[in-house]
Amino acid sequence: MQRINLGEFEELVLLVVAILNDNAYGISVMEEIEAQTERKINISAVHSALDRLESKEFLKSEVGGATNERGGRRKRFFTVTVAGNKALNFVREQRNRLHEQIPNIDFGLNQYAAI
Amino acid sequence: MQQFDHEPPKWALWFLQFYCKPRIREIIEGDAYELFYKRVETDGLTAAKRKFGWDILRFFRPKYIKGLEDINSLNNIAMFKNYFKISVRSLVRQKFFSIINISGLSLGLAACLLIMLYITNELSYDNFHKDVDRVYRIANGQSGQYTPASLGAQSKRDFPEIEEVVRLSGPYDQTFKVNSQIFKEGEGFSADSTFHKIFTVQFLEGNPDKALTEPNSIIITKSLAAKLFPNQEAYGQLLTVGGNSIKVTGVVADPPNNTHFHYNFIESFPHESWITVGNWTGNNFFTYAKLVPGATPESVEAKYPDFVAKYVGPDLVKYTGHANYAEYLAEGGKARTFTLKPMKDLHLYYPHMALGSQGDINNVYIFSAVAFFILLIASINFMNLSTARSAARSKEVGMRKVLGSRRKQLVHQFLVESMLISLVAMILSLGIASLFLDGFNQLANRNFSYSDLLAVDTLSKLLGLVLVVGLLAGSYPAFYLSGFQPLRALKGESKIGGGNVFLRKGLVAFQFAISIFLIISTMVVFSQLRFMGDKKLGFQPEQIMVVKHTGVLEDNLGAFKNQLLQDPNIESISLTDRYVSDRISDWGYTTMEDNPRSFSLMNLFTTDEYLETMGLELVEGRFYSNDLASDSASVVINEATKKALAFDEVLGKKLSRGDGEDYTIIGVVRDFNYASLKRSVEPLILRRMFEDGRMEGDWYGGDFLSLKVTGNFGETVKQVESGWNALVQDEPFDFVFLDDSFNSLYEEERRFGKLFTASSGLAIAIACLGLFALAAFTLERRRKEIAVRKVLGATVKNLTLLVVSDFTKLVVIGAVIAIPVGYWIMNDWLATFAYQININNPLLFLAPVIVVAIIAWLTVGFQSVKTAMGNPVKALRSE
Repeated sequence: MQRINLGEFEELVLLVVAILNDNAYGISVMEEIEAQTERKINISAVHSALDRLESKEFLKSEVGGATNERGGRRKRFFTVTVAGNKALNFVREQRNRLHEQIPNIDFGLNQYAAI
Repeated sequence: MQQFDHEPPKWALWFLQFYCKPRIREIIEGDAYELFYKRVETDGLTAAKRKFGWDILRFFRPKYIKGLEDINSLNNIAMFKNYFKISVRSLVRQKFFSIINISGLSLGLAACLLIMLYITNELSYDNFHKDVDRVYRIANGQSGQYTPASLGAQSKRDFPEIEEVVRLSGPYDQTFKVNSQIFKEGEGFSADSTFHKIFTVQFLEGNPDKALTEPNSIIITKSLAAKLFPNQEAYGQLLTVGGNSIKVTGVVADPPNNTHFHYNFIESFPHESWITVGNWTGNNFFTYAKLVPGATPESVEAKYPDFVAKYVGPDLVKYTGHANYAEYLAEGGKARTFTLKPMKDLHLYYPHMALGSQGDINNVYIFSAVAFFILLIASINFMNLSTARSAARSKEVGMRKVLGSRRKQLVHQFLVESMLISLVAMILSLGIASLFLDGFNQLANRNFSYSDLLAVDTLSKLLGLVLVVGLLAGSYPAFYLSGFQPLRALKGESKIGGGNVFLRKGLVAFQFAISIFLIISTMVVFSQLRFMGDKKLGFQPEQIMVVKHTGVLEDNLGAFKNQLLQDPNIESISLTDRYVSDRISDWGYTTMEDNPRSFSLMNLFTTDEYLETMGLELVEGRFYSNDLASDSASVVINEATKKALAFDEVLGKKLSRGDGEDYTIIGVVRDFNYASLKRSVEPLILRRMFEDGRMEGDWYGGDFLSLKVTGNFGETVKQVESGWNALVQDEPFDFVFLDDSFNSLYEEERRFGKLFTASSGLAIAIACLGLFALAAFTLERRRKEIAVRKVLGATVKNLTLLVVSDFTKLVVIGAVIAIPVGYWIMNDWLATFAYQININNPLLFLAPVIVVAIIAWLTVGFQSVKTAMGNPVKALRSE
């Protein structure tokens, strides 16, 4: 399988887009991340990540839904592509595989030992 | 909802619009707005605004910034490549038209380039001086160049506005002796020690503050230093001038060419007393003043009337006989004053006040007009040929339109083509301009080098000019050609390709008008020059030889004169303080009446042989004699003076110079032209000079010896020279014949004539190129018509006349425009001469028209005959 190139923040954004399903656009993604992780992030960082993911073809976007809250401007909705789905699964499986291989030695510090 | 009433900061939106790619902007804006409205609720308006701005700034990332492709779509660049290719192809296909177009335009551009060089140079005069805006020349009255000796110093003491003053005198020639070698150098001046504070001078050696403080000091330029002291240090060396030793106290860089004050050397004034001597009515110095920053010349000028009353008035009334200055003014005496002229205006606006530079704002205007007209003719050619050729391009235009070209794109295409032609013409024009640079230097009396021509500054101006010409000349054909209806263009309707015939003919007529006007000007200028050359001056100038600097002969003067009189070719000699055609200065005289009247008379001291030497005619009384002691206070006047004095009986009347100097008029000579014919004969007074060259008050003044020469001039000159060299060691022999000297007075007019000759020649050449091409085009289009006419029985003569008469009409229209304009302008020019030709001579105006008509006939006729003689079958056989 080809190497999947997915940064930590990208992975986060991709996951959130998947969670939000039909309602994933800049603001909603940002708010969801802020709510779920309690990280403070700037909207431009979200845009940037969304654009990168789209150029990697993990996301696709369409424009629509002008509303008053946006001064009459349209939203750009993102949905996860098949490749995006595969990438998420791959990353997840890889993580899991790695986690399972951690020997069960308790250093007293290793929080993963409990898993 | 209330929150939507708020607006985010404008600057942020503007900034976003400025940098952001258009297709992403909406999304970014939308998100930013949404956040803004949310924050208005939660954080308050101020924080929301601040955060909005911050968000927009955070979006300023390379990814979102507009690229080239957003400003211009890539497609346009490809199209421009195509336009370029098509332009080159069409130029190459139509070689004949292209060559004429480009050569005409490059001739015009070359003329413009040279003239631009001249004008830029004229306008740059004296700009290199530091604080040039604060430096003024003090003029005596409105424009008198000479001012009293103490004017500068006293003004500086009295007026806080004046920061520094300097006095100059010159330019003069000086003979230097260095180690027994003699050098005669011109462009010399004397100046006060404050010289360097007014003018920007680069001292290579010597202390600027000390250089001119001592008498017998001299500052020389680097080039003069190299000439006088080759391979030696010039600084501190001694020079001998007329027996005095003068020390070189400074060596300075040569002044640039573009200054009104070009010097070779500057001497200190002999001694302080010499320069403070001289009363307030003796004007001998040029005075320059530098004002303090912020002071206006008007504020200084406003103070001069009081200044004059305080200082000049008391001296003035000594000569006029009034009790005081107020009475002098009350009795109608002319009020004296001083005015300030900006130094940078001296070269162009007050050329008579410039110290050696020859400039004239009118020349700048005339040169600009000439450049403009020549360029106009070349541009007209360009427009005419492009529209005339449009028939050949109509199918291309139609095809492009059918394939989806917009009009704007077609306009671009033709503009690219005209720019291409202009740029090629520009490169050629540089070559042409460098070929004619020498000739132009003569014409403009300047010294431009190739490096001036190729300077970045000049080239960038030329490029600007080329772009303007390309755009203007190209825009008419571009809009005209792009306006074709595609269907009619493709059907090949011949009418559509004809262009606007009326406009084209009008432009050709206009070209003729310019050519005719320029020839009229040329003829008038040369007629006037010839007229002045032939004018009887009242004496025989070609017979009079003037030997200069006879003052240096001193005790040998008598011996020299005796030796000359031995020569059978020399009929008569006389000594004078000035000579005719050179500068003769005016002195003030007043009549000896109850109400004395003041006159300013040109003053010439001569020995008694002058009447005979010059061959002047005595109208009344007698001439003074050197043998009569009683004649020491006798004077002879000319008719103009007699008229000005307006006495019933002028002989025996007395004139006064004030202080008890009275002179009796004993004779009147017929008016003779002793100065340029631009001026009528002004009042002249001849006063006696002693045989040994002394004038009044034992001052020596016999600087010029006039010789009446008959027979072999060349031999006589040699004789006189050898006689001079035997007696004089320190001064080279210098002489002039008066006819040459008078001719040199009209140097400016002669250049003027040459300028018109050159420009009319150029204008005609360019116009002919255009005419030739246009005729070729017309004949090409009328080939079938001519063939049909021939088949129906027209003769070659009929056919030729048919075409030629068309163009003759245009010449006539041109003449109708050019003659009145030429009459009006040349009448104006002639008004500057006191003696002028009769401009109402029809030949002056008809000859140019005929010349232009003949040139037009030759240009067109040759081709017409060729076409008319052709076999009609060849023109008719294919449809």
